[in-house]
Amino acid sequence: MDVTVIAESSENGLHPVTAQLVGAAVAIGGAPTVLCAGGWGVEDAVSISGVAKVISVVGDCFGSFDGGAWAEALSSASGGDVIIAAATPAGREIAATIAAIRGIPIVQDVTGLAPGISVTRPIYSGKAIESSTVGTPCAITVRANAFDAAGEDGSAEVSTVNQSADVAVAVREAIAKASERLDVAEADIIISGGRGMGDPANFSHLEEIADIIGAAVGASRAAVDTWDEIPHGMQVGQTGKTVTPSLYIAVGISGAIQHLAGMRTSKYIVAINKDPDAPIFGVADYGIVATWEDALPALKAELGKL
Amino acid sequence: MAYEALDFYDIDSLLSDEERMVRDMVRDWVDEKVIPNIEEACRDGVFPDEWRVDLGEMGILGAPLKGYGCPGLSYIAYGLICQELERGDSGVRSFASVQGSLAMYPIWDFGSEEQKNHYLPRMATGEWVGCFGLTEPDYGSNPGDMITRAEDKGDHYLLNGAKMWITNGTIADLAVVWAKLDGVIRGFIVEKGDPGFTAPEMTGKHSLKASVTSELVFQDCRIPKDRILPDVKGLKGPFSCLNNARFGISWGAVGAAQSCFNSAKEYALSRIQFDHPIASFQLVQNKLAWMLREITKAQLLAYHLGQKKDDGTWIPEHISLAKMNNVDIALEIARMARDIHGANGILDEYPVMRHMANLESVKTYEGTHDIHNLILGRHITGIQAFTREFTE
Amino acid sequence: MTIAVLLKQVPDTTSKISVSGGRVDESAVSKWSMSPYDEYALESALQLKESGGGDVVAITCGPARAAKMLTDAAAVGADSLLHVLVEDLNALDSTQVQAILAAAVSHCSAQVVFCGKQAADTNAGSTGPGVAHLMGASCVTMVSEVASEGDSFTAMRASSGGDQRVAVSAPCLFAFDKGTTELRRPNVRGIMMAKKKVAETLGASDLGVDTSASSVSVDSHSPPPEKPPGQRFEGVDSVAVVVSKLRDEANVI
Ligand SMILES: Cc1cc2nc3c(=O)[nH]c(=O)nc-3n(C[C@H](O)[C@H](O)[C@H](O)COP(=O)(O)OP(=O)(O)OC[C@H]3O[C@@H](n4cnc5c(N)ncnc54)[C@H](O)[C@@H]3O)c2cc1C
Ligand SMILES: Cc1cc2nc3c(=O)[nH]c(=O)nc-3n(C[C@H](O)[C@H](O)[C@H](O)COP(=O)(O)OP(=O)(O)OC[C@H]3O[C@@H](n4cnc5c(N)ncnc54)[C@H](O)[C@@H]3O)c2cc1C
Repeated sequence: MDVTVIAESSENGLHPVTAQLVGAAVAIGGAPTVLCAGGWGVEDAVSISGVAKVISVVGDCFGSFDGGAWAEALSSASGGDVIIAAATPAGREIAATIAAIRGIPIVQDVTGLAPGISVTRPIYSGKAIESSTVGTPCAITVRANAFDAAGEDGSAEVSTVNQSADVAVAVREAIAKASERLDVAEADIIISGGRGMGDPANFSHLEEIADIIGAAVGASRAAVDTWDEIPHGMQVGQTGKTVTPSLYIAVGISGAIQHLAGMRTSKYIVAINKDPDAPIFGVADYGIVATWEDALPALKAELGKL
Repeated sequence: MAYEALDFYDIDSLLSDEERMVRDMVRDWVDEKVIPNIEEACRDGVFPDEWRVDLGEMGILGAPLKGYGCPGLSYIAYGLICQELERGDSGVRSFASVQGSLAMYPIWDFGSEEQKNHYLPRMATGEWVGCFGLTEPDYGSNPGDMITRAEDKGDHYLLNGAKMWITNGTIADLAVVWAKLDGVIRGFIVEKGDPGFTAPEMTGKHSLKASVTSELVFQDCRIPKDRILPDVKGLKGPFSCLNNARFGISWGAVGAAQSCFNSAKEYALSRIQFDHPIASFQLVQNKLAWMLREITKAQLLAYHLGQKKDDGTWIPEHISLAKMNNVDIALEIARMARDIHGANGILDEYPVMRHMANLESVKTYEGTHDIHNLILGRHITGIQAFTREFTE
Repeated sequence: MTIAVLLKQVPDTTSKISVSGGRVDESAVSKWSMSPYDEYALESALQLKESGGGDVVAITCGPARAAKMLTDAAAVGADSLLHVLVEDLNALDSTQVQAILAAAVSHCSAQVVFCGKQAADTNAGSTGPGVAHLMGASCVTMVSEVASEGDSFTAMRASSGGDQRVAVSAPCLFAFDKGTTELRRPNVRGIMMAKKKVAETLGASDLGVDTSASSVSVDSHSPPPEKPPGQRFEGVDSVAVVVSKLRDEANVI
């Protein structure tokens, strides 16, 4: 099976998800060729185990992001049976465009792959799983963390291809990311604090963690009612917002039924509470019996490592 | 979680696309604007002005009227609008009923061409608010004996008297006032700012707190001659307005009942006592089944009445029955739902006590429950029982 | 200027999804809605039309039930409607869907296309870039806002380093993310007007697209795997364990 992996890379180097893309390629029996757009991340890509060769594609078009132009520049080197990219916004766009250029189908956001090629992917936001069979040639994007990363003992050869394309999307202005807080109703990860936080100032610990994982900060009603600093907009529960994030982390929240009403359909729930009998543990997928004073610094450190 | 309306007999499938779209539009608005803000509005005793603007922008004021800026929707669509508004709060539905059926309708049916062109387009957009003055301090169920008088002074009319319990009165730009001219009931349009006209707000209500209720006071109130509604005389005027408003109430009550049922169902499923959800106990299930049964019957009644309204085969007694029945079961459902909620049921965190208190007003206004019984009694027997004297 | 908006009808994100006989049971879906990102595309197209003139044509490829969504689009202001009737979208692969939509866009002579960055059912995100390629259009994804500037357009898009304002000229396609734009509500007037806007209905073959040979075939649908029962850990040392489980078992970070 001739597999091309489009590396997820940028001026900051190779993104670790690339090793998972190689892992996915190996799962369908390929020793992939890895393409590094703009030559970024080549040094790290060569050492991923199982990579047959690395192609550094360089050209003026990689100066700013134009998915169409990037895809065109990369497509000449993206031959073979299967193209694999990461299901990130850029990865999806590039892979979809290459697929369109080559006239081959694409299946996005895949979480399982087997020779054949059988693919599985979550549909309806994870409310069902679809298994299908895809003929080759085809393009596939895979979800981060769905595949084991390949090891780091490879030593692939590198070749360089000079290939650019006309850029049609001109960047006029870059606007630095505003550090505005996400709204709990929109966030995919929420970390909420309750009365157990002891003082509204301690919510800063939750904010620091939220910043690391792109989460919104929520609160129980007891926290909102007790402290003026915690606005009602943060309240999760029956009389606050109903949320269904992928991950909900409840810190110092007892888990009263009215709080549960607003968050129990979250995909995964983590509870941190010092009371082993707190009802929140009844709905938690992962419960940690500890004080937040102990647990949050450790959580911050662990998440920082990812 | 999105609101899922109880529709046991799939009445949805009987609606036209247009009716469904209008219903969904109002439903979404109520979820977004009314439900999150209603308790605050009740606490403050105000009808938020933003709601007036939104109702106008949606284009649902005077929905079944045609022309003069009004859309001419079906009566079923109008019913659905009332149902969704009242699921939020009876006060919001009251605003819309008074504006559309009690203030715009008489101008549309009995007004002069000039009156229609002048008032209706601005009332349809909500720019101008109207109210309807029939009830007086001493004459409620018996409006025929009203005291308010109009005198023809040659180049103007002079109004004297007082109206009471008038929804929207204080915030209204115009009032459709029923008064006797030479002993005959006639309709007059009185505008805010007319000399001798005031509309003080009534306070202290335990019901319909997010609706403005007022007195209308006329002390030698002078209005121009062109403000009389030319085309109607007698009680037929106010009663034909009431028919439309009562029709809307028969649907609105279903909305209030659905809100109470929903809350009771959710609560019963999540409240654990004696180690089990209270929804698992037969007595609680019996209550929920009764609610389902009565709501479904009320829906069918309202829907069929809507068809009759639309094809013109209705009689006022049909409307009396639906208003009376649907408000009656809604009130009973609200009380039952309150009971299922236990102590929590008295809190403003849940809608049930508010609906319950609101429905007490709805039971009384637009013809009390028993007045509708008397209307039906007269229909059955041919004998009117409103007064003690024997009349044919 | 004609702005084509590509819309897909999907189960409302609040709807339950149930699987029976190895397939998602579409008849059990309680509510079908316009895919949320598409709503932003439609809103932005209407705003662009209001600021610079033109026509908005709403296009969908899907089964008969999707007609209702087109009417909803008409109620908020879409000028014309095109329904490419395809009874089972699941039977088509991405190349076929893209070919249909690109042909539909050209059928409407539109040079500017708005769509969602992905549809809320499959969450794929292939359609925008694919259609753009087939029409020879430049493509901007993750867009929150578009304005016209003479013959060209500027768009705000999200990127990993923050927002960027970019410029493109027609033909071009914008794939929308959820922006801060407030979506308009329909009103009765719009709903009544919508009745008069009859959708043009075509089959894929009318557009010259062959839908017979899909190279992707769905084998089965299944409910998501059961979550493992809740796990309890004592003490701060367990934090590392939980984080690794969140990453490897739950796949949520
Ligand atoms: C009608 C109604 C509606 C309601 N709506 C909502 C709602 O929308 N949302 C909502 O949240 N509540 C709601 N409530 C309130 C709800 O019943 C609870 O009172 C509230 O959720 C409790 O908040 P809490 O868990 O933060 O506080 P508590 O119940 O006081 O719990 C604090 C928890 O923190 C733990 N703790 C203390 N110190 C530490 C520490 N150092 N480290 C770790 N853990 C610690 C304790 O063990 C305890 O479990 C509603 C109530 C009613 C009656
Ligand atoms: C919140 C609110 C808003 C209102 N808004 C308006 C408005 O906008 N415009 C307007 O004109 N009016 C309005 N009303 C007034 C309403 O229409 C009257 O309250 C209603 O007609 C009943 O009149 P009443 O209150 O004087 O009761 P009464 O007529 O005194 O009735 C009292 C009781 O006696 C019973 N009863 C009366 N007569 C008989 C009989 N012959 N046989 C048997 N039983 C009888 C009634 O059923 C009732 O139970 C509003 C009322 C409320 C509460």
